[in-house]
Amino acid sequence: MGSVFCSNHCVFLFPFVFLFRQSNRLRNLLKEPRHDCVLFANEFQQYSFCPREKGESQEKWQTRCVYSAAVWYYNHLAGMMDIVMITDDQEAVDQYSSLSSGVYVITVRDYLQNFWPDLQAAHELYASVSQVLQEKESEGKEGEYGEHLPPEVLEAGIKSGRYIQGTLNVSKHRAQTEAFVMMEGFSNKSSDIGCRVLVHGDKSRNRAVHGDVVVMELLPKSEWRGKVTALSEGQGAEKSGEDESKPLPTGRVVGILQRNWRDYVVTFPPREGPQSQSRNSQRILAVPWDYRIPKIRISTQQADALQDHRVVVRIDSWESSSLYPNGHSVRVLGRAGELETEVQTILIENSIHVPPFSDAQLREMPVNSPEKPWKVDPAQVAARRDLRESHLIFSIDPKGCEDVDDTLSVRSLAGGKTLELGVHIADVTHFVKEGSITDLEARTRATTYYLADRRYDMLPAVLSGDLCSLLGGVDRYAMSVMWELDAHTLAVNQVWYGRTIIRSSYQLHYELAQALLNGEQAEVPELARLGSERKDDRLAELTQALETLTHIARQLRAQRDQGGALELEGVEVRAQLDEEKNITALVPRQPLEVHETVAECMIYANHWVARKIQETFPHQALLRHHPPPRQEFFSQLLESARARGFTIDTITNKALANSLDRAVDPEDPLVNRLLRMMTTQAMSEALYFSTGSQSLDQFYHYGLALDRYTHFTSPIRRYADIVVHRLLTAAIAAEGEGAPGKGLASNKELEEMSRHINSKNRAAKRAQKLSTELFQCLFFKDRDPQTDLRCLADAVIYSIRDDGVLVFVSEYGVKGPVYLKNREGQVVTFGQDGSCEWQSGSVRRYPDHISTTSACNTSTFRLFNHITVRISVYSSHCHADRLNLEVISNKPYRSTEAQQPRSEGRCQLVQEVVRLAEEASQQAQEKAARGPKLSREERKFCQSKTPNLYSLLEEVRELALMDPEMIPQVCATEE
Amino acid sequence: MAGLELLSDQGYRLDGRKATELRKVQARMGVFAQADGSAYLEQGNTKALAVVYGPHEMRGSRSRTLHDRAVINCQYSMATFSTAERKRRPHGDRKSTEMSLHLKQTFEAAVMTQLYPRSQIDIYVKILQSDGGNYSVCVNAATLAVIDAGIPMRDYVCACTVGFVDETPLADLCYAEESGGVSSLALALLPRGGQIALLQMDARLHQDHLETLIEAAMTACKGVSKVLDQVVRQHLEEVSMLTGE
Repeated sequence: MGSVFCSNHCVFLFPFVFLFRQSNRLRNLLKEPRHDCVLFANEFQQYSFCPREKGESQEKWQTRCVYSAAVWYYNHLAGMMDIVMITDDQEAVDQYSSLSSGVYVITVRDYLQNFWPDLQAAHELYASVSQVLQEKESEGKEGEYGEHLPPEVLEAGIKSGRYIQGTLNVSKHRAQTEAFVMMEGFSNKSSDIGCRVLVHGDKSRNRAVHGDVVVMELLPKSEWRGKVTALSEGQGAEKSGEDESKPLPTGRVVGILQRNWRDYVVTFPPREGPQSQSRNSQRILAVPWDYRIPKIRISTQQADALQDHRVVVRIDSWESSSLYPNGHSVRVLGRAGELETEVQTILIENSIHVPPFSDAQLREMPVNSPEKPWKVDPAQVAARRDLRESHLIFSIDPKGCEDVDDTLSVRSLAGGKTLELGVHIADVTHFVKEGSITDLEARTRATTYYLADRRYDMLPAVLSGDLCSLLGGVDRYAMSVMWELDAHTLAVNQVWYGRTIIRSSYQLHYELAQALLNGEQAEVPELARLGSERKDDRLAELTQALETLTHIARQLRAQRDQGGALELEGVEVRAQLDEEKNITALVPRQPLEVHETVAECMIYANHWVARKIQETFPHQALLRHHPPPRQEFFSQLLESARARGFTIDTITNKALANSLDRAVDPEDPLVNRLLRMMTTQAMSEALYFSTGSQSLDQFYHYGLALDRYTHFTSPIRRYADIVVHRLLTAAIAAEGEGAPGKGLASNKELEEMSRHINSKNRAAKRAQKLSTELFQCLFFKDRDPQTDLRCLADAVIYSIRDDGVLVFVSEYGVKGPVYLKNREGQVVTFGQDGSCEWQSGSVRRYPDHISTTSACNTSTFRLFNHITVRISVYSSHCHADRLNLEVISNKPYRSTEAQQPRSEGRCQLVQEVVRLAEEASQQAQEKAARGPKLSREERKFCQSKTPNLYSLLEEVRELALMDPEMIPQVCATEE
Repeated sequence: MAGLELLSDQGYRLDGRKATELRKVQARMGVFAQADGSAYLEQGNTKALAVVYGPHEMRGSRSRTLHDRAVINCQYSMATFSTAERKRRPHGDRKSTEMSLHLKQTFEAAVMTQLYPRSQIDIYVKILQSDGGNYSVCVNAATLAVIDAGIPMRDYVCACTVGFVDETPLADLCYAEESGGVSSLALALLPRGGQIALLQMDARLHQDHLETLIEAAMTACKGVSKVLDQVVRQHLEEVSMLTGE
């Protein structure tokens, strides 16, 4: 089978036979409509098919097939366009190049040189790939690893239960030795050996890389090993067996079913004298940014130029004779340590691809410029319910929010007997037609990515910031859900779903809305120009509406609480950006009641929409569920709570919510917060799914305590909402016709889409976390930990490990390990005054405390004790920087200033980084003309630094998790 | 191992057919002179030979005689060389007994047995080469043989297998598809009246999909019936030419 790739001026065929059969990635690339590629099944076409001749080799035959397809295509186009067929087979070039006039057969190298002489990146890529191919042939055969078994044997083994299939998951902290295989458990044995199998050492890992689907064989019980539980400091601390937990099932990899290689970011190590050149100067062992990935051997001639640069590479192969996998470089990101490089690294490591919107996409967009303002279409006005005059509609959002996707309205009907509550959501699907390029791009992105200092929109700015955004005072299309509620019982009498046209009267922000509710004097910008009398009237009207809304929300919340909704604590900060995309502050969620009010209305709308689409399309509706957590993940929480004398009941969500509410230490509010944080970590992840693929009892949303839930209210920044909007539109249409309509996508497509959205959401969350940590590191980087007071902070112990404790620094939102024993075997003890000293001694661990003993002193650290730590930055060259916490006193830290509210520390942090950036930019401006402001500042700002790296911090955070797979989900704060 | 991709993104199957496309059907009637009726039918790489004797008096145990209609006796067998692995296939094994029974049921529904009381019609089918859809090929070949024997039938009996892959029904499965874990359904149809003579399904399938699957099978059967009709007409032309009418 050959592939036709059409670019604008030439068409050529590729002998992609093997690749096509095997590589899903190539196929996905071709499927992507934005690449203008077509796959031509020449085997199945009468005129381009040629039967294989006797004695003809497979490759020859395939080349001949592709050639005859090329000839056919040339004739099909009636000679209007010349065809280029590229191959790497020199014989084929000789054989075919002179045969037919319109079809040129050339090698890849000639093709690149003749047609794309100035595409430097492609030339480099080609050079690095061909080098790898050449070297592969000349490689020796002495085996470093055992050979993988052939696929038939694996398949038979899996079926008979002899082998186990699963995804390899390398431990972040001991990437060299420890890995786990998560079983895709259908096998009945999974009950007695649990769902994780340990793979110890790289011999038994046998060339599998993190994420691969592998087949493994269990070792006999005598060779089972435990997992190392001590905090290891860097890679040097090699622990012997005594620190291990009880033996886990252990196995070795015998075969790999599917490689899951993606693009990796690596750093070329600096030259360390002549020994690295001894064998082959062109081969470099590059260190991946991700700890879990082994070093990759790269063949390149640019090794010198790429020193200290971060480079995107792909792994090509891993022969059994080689200790490391071979790869080739794809793209250079930039010098390690520069902010732009680091942010790009975060994106690539999470497989986030956000190119600027293409012209073709922007052409699809409606125009709204001062010369040509966008107007409401009269045809749409006729088709939609007009709420512009009849309803008082307002939005409540964070300050400075551009993409307003939700607005609210409330009014009383029938002389106060009933209330009408309305939630009006931006009608994105009106602008983004299914199948359009914008839609495809949005589907690929699946969500808007928020990083600490920037944001990558899912939709082009003209939609997200303007036409879809429900701004105040302008006419906008909306998708509405309106309930008629009984004024007293708040029972739902009637629900109306439909498309509307609205004009939001007030664009409030949370603080302002709260001030109005509290009866404080507040200035509403929309009313500033009115006379005082009218102003008071309008203000009273607005306040009345807000009060009603709050009343309803309280009731709804109470209803859900009865069902057992959880309120969880997540460390969540959000960067506030000004017009130039500079951060003005990192805003933590201030617990105002109005937040809850808005969130409650949104949850209510989501719930009702979920009911509607699920009822109309029982097998193909996109919903969101939150499976109940596995009880064993609660063990840390239970243990910690017991240390403080609280009992936590985790049987149902209701019991859990109640017991969490009770577990409050009046003297230390942090205790409750930490407990809630631990609960969050025990939670399973909330996921989108298609109703056809799960049974009804799986629909339950554990965190919100709702039987059905979906995402409907933020179509501007989430693709799932767009899908739900389309489903709702189809449901409304089906209702009108009276016939059960067909859903837009089949169950299978929907399931595939929800998997895609789930993985993108996970990536977005990880990227956001990493970028926050990047900024934390940048903040502390310039400070001298010895002198700067801001590097001292109060920390709370929340977990005990063998040679240290895990602490939470609330001021900066940092979690991390504190070692009580260093590599020389010295332990830290404290004198009477709380000063610490390092002496040789021993550490003993108990369930709820850990104590260090040296010659003269004994110190004990209990759970939830407050200690003082010094924060410094630990830079490593190839990975991310991380924050290092060091205990300096066992007394709580009291800053000289009065106790600040905790949030300020964090705001300060980013403000400080930004301030530094601005100073640097001023210097830059003196020299150079203006450029894109932020990037230059930041680059300048970072250049003074040593190379930097920060996935260690990630590691540190993960230490707190029982299971690295469980990425904490903050479900109660979803709206 | 992820199995073979039975239906590519472009809608091609393993052998290059589209989802609803049948394999090439070629058939000849009257291949043996000694039998009352005979036919040879190829459907792709599945080849079958059908021979009909009768109607004649009951042979063997007379106790099976039916006083109001003819008894249909079917025997299905596979040639030792019909599969990739040579294997002795005795007549009485469970698979072929079951298949014989199915054929019998199918033809009892189609042949107008009441015209021949107290007699017997023998249908012998042999698979010469097996490549999926054995039952349906047998039915199609036997139909032609019965017609060749001049035994009145209500209608052609046409059979076809249909599988269900990626929410799409695939018509006329070949061996690779049948063995690839597809839930398949065999259907024998009297196409003119749309009556189902036999419906057989061993695999699990969601009941929502059953209707589309049957729908597709019926369409496929109608396609087969067109081909058979052509074969019969052509055979008739040839025969009448020979007899000089």
